[in-house]
Amino acid sequence: MATILTVDDSRAVRTIVSKQVKDLGFEVDEAEDGVLGLAKLAECQFDLVILDVTMPNMDGPTMLGKMRDSGNTTPVIMLTSESKRSIIAGAMKSGITDYILKPFKPEELRNKILSVLQGAGGGAEDVVASSMPGGAPAAGVAAGASPARDPGAKQFVDVMVVDDMENVHKRLRGMVPAHLSMNGFTSAQSALASAREKVYRVILVDTEIPDVNSTVLAQQIKVLQPHAAFVALALRTTAPEQTKDLKSQGFSEVLYKPFTQDHVDDFMVQYFDNQDFLTSEDNLLKVAPFVGKPERLERYFGRLSQLFPAVLNKVAAACYEEIILDLGSVPTQGDRLPKLLVSVAGQAKEVGMSMSVVGAPDIQKVLASFEETKNIKYFASIQEARAGAA
Amino acid sequence: MSSDKLATELKSILLKRIQSDQLVVPTIPSVVQKVQEALREGDQTVAKRAAEILEQDAFLAARALRAALGSTKASSGQKQPTLSDAVTKLGPRGVKGLLIEATAQKVFVSRDGEIANALRRTWEHSVAVGTLARDVLALSGHADSDAAYLAGLLHDIGKPVVASVLLEAERQTTELYNRPWIPCAEWVEVIAKTHRAVGVALAEKWQLPEGVVKCLQENLDYDNADRTSIVNAVVFANALAKKTGVYVGTVDADDIDAIVMIGRSLIGVNDEILRTLTKGLKDRVDGMFD
Repeated sequence: MATILTVDDSRAVRTIVSKQVKDLGFEVDEAEDGVLGLAKLAECQFDLVILDVTMPNMDGPTMLGKMRDSGNTTPVIMLTSESKRSIIAGAMKSGITDYILKPFKPEELRNKILSVLQGAGGGAEDVVASSMPGGAPAAGVAAGASPARDPGAKQFVDVMVVDDMENVHKRLRGMVPAHLSMNGFTSAQSALASAREKVYRVILVDTEIPDVNSTVLAQQIKVLQPHAAFVALALRTTAPEQTKDLKSQGFSEVLYKPFTQDHVDDFMVQYFDNQDFLTSEDNLLKVAPFVGKPERLERYFGRLSQLFPAVLNKVAAACYEEIILDLGSVPTQGDRLPKLLVSVAGQAKEVGMSMSVVGAPDIQKVLASFEETKNIKYFASIQEARAGAA
Repeated sequence: MSSDKLATELKSILLKRIQSDQLVVPTIPSVVQKVQEALREGDQTVAKRAAEILEQDAFLAARALRAALGSTKASSGQKQPTLSDAVTKLGPRGVKGLLIEATAQKVFVSRDGEIANALRRTWEHSVAVGTLARDVLALSGHADSDAAYLAGLLHDIGKPVVASVLLEAERQTTELYNRPWIPCAEWVEVIAKTHRAVGVALAEKWQLPEGVVKCLQENLDYDNADRTSIVNAVVFANALAKKTGVYVGTVDADDIDAIVMIGRSLIGVNDEILRTLTKGLKDRVDGMFD
């Protein structure tokens, strides 16, 4: 989940910004001047800084300069009542991504935060129509004279969504597991720009973007993202072989609209769960933490049940006699966990392995409270489990 | 003669002409051609096409305003006059008289291809700024968008005035004295150094609308107190036109980027509107004055 730092000497402004950020589902931290802002940045990593200009102790431009000097390339939106061109031009040279003039409408703040976090860039050079990418320079201006952007290493992003309807991005963002990063784009141009800068694992392309040939767009992105999986986002038609047709155009899969949570879950498992949901290293198996609403617990345990056989077979094939299952802080309510553990222990036994469980203390209580699981070995840490096995 | 000296002398000549009401600025050939076509087709066509023709020529538009509105100046609280207001007030006969007068003065075309091109692009820039200023206010639901067009069209009104005197000087130098004329870069520099003062003097003498006069100031900047003012629309439009490449002269790219970034938030222009505003702008004005 993205974390945003708001740096402003006005408590009222910090409160308003924090509320908007939380409403968007992101985490927020506050600092009241540049000195405290830099201290927060030294403590932890933020995805975005919303920075005032005029503040006591250290103003916004000074803090921004110090950030950049220290190699910190976190995107910055300047939120200020300052509209002096020389000051804003200076801030742009230090690499601010966007600017909001106070007083502002919450809608503008929300849109610009989403634009920056979704990697759409922001800044007028991205949106001024021109025959040249980024807007043609005016007469007498050398090409490339616009503010420098972070030339750092390529950032990895799990999912790219290209769809002209913003509500599709929002809906997908709400359904894609929170631990997966996702960037959404409403235009071919912005998607291509991001594809040049970042590395994506799965790319979803709407098949009905106005004035855009989605197949050609997917091919263009594929040149830049040769290792990504390409998925068509399509409305189901009466065409008898719609899926086949779309696959013949180069898409590896089709996600039909309107999609439900179950569709998205089933779809995402193909690309991510084997790598993130249940991982294994030697004979240590780790379960990803549960994130989401309680009503999704059933699917969470169902997914785990589906994934265990293949992973157990892999460990057994490496001639281990015991597996250590690290459950972390897996939810313990109900009988889902005991049922899962009984099943996994049974499967492990079938391939000649015993099982130890590591996790939070309440897992031990759950194991003890069911007849079928009270004999499963529990340890508070992986070290203890390894020592117990030895 | 150095460009500084030439600029100083030109400024002095032009300010005197403006004060003594002896300023004559020829209409650009492409507009003359359009006027002649309309006149040939009869009074109805003249009435129908008058506003369209005036909208393309900053100096002709300023003359129409002067002739129609005289000393009745709109105060800051009132609706700013537009070209349509001027055409209505002049009436069919008044408009026809103005257009005939516009075609009477023979215009000299520079023999230097670069200068001729620079002059043409100067006109294109004015039309682009007018169009962008009108559209930006219209898209933000502002009623004064036509007045913004006029202010955008006239924001560099000093340039055609200075250019006409430079063309006059070029003809004398090259035709009468058979001497070489200044290079294009110097020509652009002289105009840049003189046009503000000339434009302001002209606007004051001719009592042009307040919205137009405000947009002629040196180092024009945003007005935070009135976010959708005509001045803000013109400042934003001018920067966008320069950024899109519809401009002649040197530009501070950092300053232009800052003006556009500030304007997007100040006026409330989102990315979609910005794309709509600038899409095809260059194509729309390119060749307008060929």
